[in-house]
Amino acid sequence: MGQFEWHPLAMAAATTTAWVVIATGLLQIFFYLVQLVFAAISLTKRPPVVRSSMLWCRYAEQAPPIAVLAPAYNEEVTIVESVSSLLALHYPDFEVVVINDGSSDGTLQRLIDYFSVTPVNRYHDLTMTHQPIRAVYANPRIPRLLIVDKENGGKSDALNAGINVARAPLFCSIDADSLLESDALLRAVRPFVENPDKVVAVGGTIRLANGSRIAGGRVEKVCLPRNFLALVQIIEYLRAFLMARLALSHMQALTVISGAFGLFRRRLVLEVGGYSHGTVGEDMELVVKLHRHMRDLKRPYRIEFIPEPVCWTEAPEDLTILGRQRARWQRGALETFAKHRDMLFNPRYGRIGFLGFGQVLVVDVLGPIIEVIGYVLIPLLWAVGLLSLQYLLAFLAITFTFGIFLSVATLILEEVELRRFPHASDLVALTLVAVVENFGYRQLSNVWRLRGLWQFLRKHQGWGQMTRKGFQTA
Amino acid sequence: MISLGDLWTVSIALSGLALLIMAGLIITRLVAERRQRASRAQRSKLLPLLLGNVCDTTLLNLRREGPDVLGQLTTELIELVRGEERAQLVATATRLGITDALRRRLKVGPTRARVAAAEVLGHFPDDHCTAALEEALDDRDSGVRLAAAQALASSDRAPPAQLLIERLRLGTTEHSMLMVTLLGEVARERPNEVRALIDQDEVPAPVRAAAIEALGSSGDYLLVGVITALALAANDDTPELPRYLRALGAFQHPAALPAITRGLTSSTWWVRAAAAEAAGRIGLSETAECLRRMLDDGDWWVRFRAGEALVRLGGPGQQLLAETCHCGSDRARDAARLTLAELAIAA
Repeated sequence: MGQFEWHPLAMAAATTTAWVVIATGLLQIFFYLVQLVFAAISLTKRPPVVRSSMLWCRYAEQAPPIAVLAPAYNEEVTIVESVSSLLALHYPDFEVVVINDGSSDGTLQRLIDYFSVTPVNRYHDLTMTHQPIRAVYANPRIPRLLIVDKENGGKSDALNAGINVARAPLFCSIDADSLLESDALLRAVRPFVENPDKVVAVGGTIRLANGSRIAGGRVEKVCLPRNFLALVQIIEYLRAFLMARLALSHMQALTVISGAFGLFRRRLVLEVGGYSHGTVGEDMELVVKLHRHMRDLKRPYRIEFIPEPVCWTEAPEDLTILGRQRARWQRGALETFAKHRDMLFNPRYGRIGFLGFGQVLVVDVLGPIIEVIGYVLIPLLWAVGLLSLQYLLAFLAITFTFGIFLSVATLILEEVELRRFPHASDLVALTLVAVVENFGYRQLSNVWRLRGLWQFLRKHQGWGQMTRKGFQTA
Repeated sequence: MISLGDLWTVSIALSGLALLIMAGLIITRLVAERRQRASRAQRSKLLPLLLGNVCDTTLLNLRREGPDVLGQLTTELIELVRGEERAQLVATATRLGITDALRRRLKVGPTRARVAAAEVLGHFPDDHCTAALEEALDDRDSGVRLAAAQALASSDRAPPAQLLIERLRLGTTEHSMLMVTLLGEVARERPNEVRALIDQDEVPAPVRAAAIEALGSSGDYLLVGVITALALAANDDTPELPRYLRALGAFQHPAALPAITRGLTSSTWWVRAAAAEAAGRIGLSETAECLRRMLDDGDWWVRFRAGEALVRLGGPGQQLLAETCHCGSDRARDAARLTLAELAIAA
């Protein structure tokens, strides 16, 4: 039987499709490789990771006051422990502003009872708009603590209220479930002390606390989780923080500071209107607004990222919740990209327009769509004889083997420079996960991101339900 | 140029190489874990010996057993203790030759290790260490330069302040707030050198501001006139102007009045806020009426500082706040009412 001959047009269409998929994949890999190199450079140049006592000696005298803004919504079970751990942070001058965002449970009452706070008058800024503040509570015996009770308006709304009430020149925004290292503020303030005229915001490395032993709101012993999804997310967080954010910060093109921990110059955040309402990517959007503002004003500035772990968070261990979270992250990135699309490749915005937004375009906007198209079409086109084997192998290289290389290379970087995983057995487990995640999990993650795209296109609002498992306490 | 067909081969080779390196690192880690256990045991053995009085022969024997552990533990302890205990440990470390290793580390290696070495060397007063730290003042890395300068300054071995500024490029390429700490250390023993920086026009403005802040707690009231003159000569948007005003506030001397009065009417909000704060700290009752007007300022921070300053002025200031509660604009009324309410003072 003679071999079936395809029409040249069909062959050309198949080849073009394959080239688009491969070229986009290669572009992504190129971005990642550049990031890997910059992350390595940045890590070798990083300042000494000294003990807290030394940090105190070095920076305490010049460290500016910080307001830690902790928004809380229905956190009745954990709020007292979280606030107690925040009050125990090692920093010379800070205040903790807890914003009860109209919780429907007993969050506020728990705070009132435990900290014996009473309503007080506080003269505060009104620059930011947010849902009305019902009352401000304090206790003169705990001068660092301030509790703001306001009507429900979401996380960005709560943070905006906190920014208004705060009186420190810097504020640190955290998530309700963030566990901070005791010296987190001292570490994160370093760029502000060393480059006070230019630094406008600082992000820090977020690590996953799943599997670790927690006591008194602190991570006491770092252990790997047993749940596969949590393990995969450890590799993902390594790639996101150790590689991407560190490198982009080194290139001065960082577009995201995680909502779990970020230190900002209050005044500049006020100038850009604070956190935006009606977006799930408010953390990314704030950073982009700061870039835009400073570029528009033609003022020199820096947005820094520190590789030291400053904050721990809980990763979802359930496919449904993880899928929702990833779709939401994707939607947040797309919302910010769409809102500020005029910055893309706009010379006025320099490297943030080309590198920062270029990366968002290739990795977040086009990446998932084209990769999923590739999964469907390339094997199919090869199977029916429209593509030769070399196209299929090139596609497999891009989606699987280069992925393994990048994940393992990040792990190598971590081990050579930071050594944060306590046992050799942890490294073995993570190396295995770095390989395995490329077969199945990566594809699933792309499907979740497509769901995020769909939600974005349908102008879907809201966060979806996020169920917390709760930290495993000692 | 890599062809399409080569992509697969290259990716396999890269992944294989990465996995191979990772395997090597895991083996290294296993060895390191074993060594770590041994070094932990060694540390527990060394700790009481170092803190007690032990003869040199014993220590030299211990050094032969584990020079790195001994070096690390000694430097850690030096940073932890003070007074005689520190002097004793420094003497022991010098006899054991630990400073040789530190001096080597100051020259070669990653920045973080060199900064750490500079910090520790500051505790060793001998000439070799001083020379090594002085050499580090010209290091390629600004962090190492600054750490070396601070190490020297903390033990009163820093070169003249003027020279320090040039070698560290303070105020030109180096803008760290740590320069205030550094100049403060220098000023502890040689205040005149730091004082002289303020008068020199060729000294960069950020260094002069840092020198002023470093001398803020000196109680040298002669500085008030100098700082006042600097504040009066500065442009409205000079970044150092609020620092001058805050320093004047710290001196709490009424001779600062002309600079404060000018600052209160500045077109820049942060200057107005700093001037209001200083007026309150000094207790300049002459500024009370101006401060009252500032309760209607367009910037919240200025209104807040004005209210705070009026409270600090005592009875007359609080009287003005109480009056504003009834007769000012909405904005001023709110500022006055809430400022008084926050301090539980009846309007």
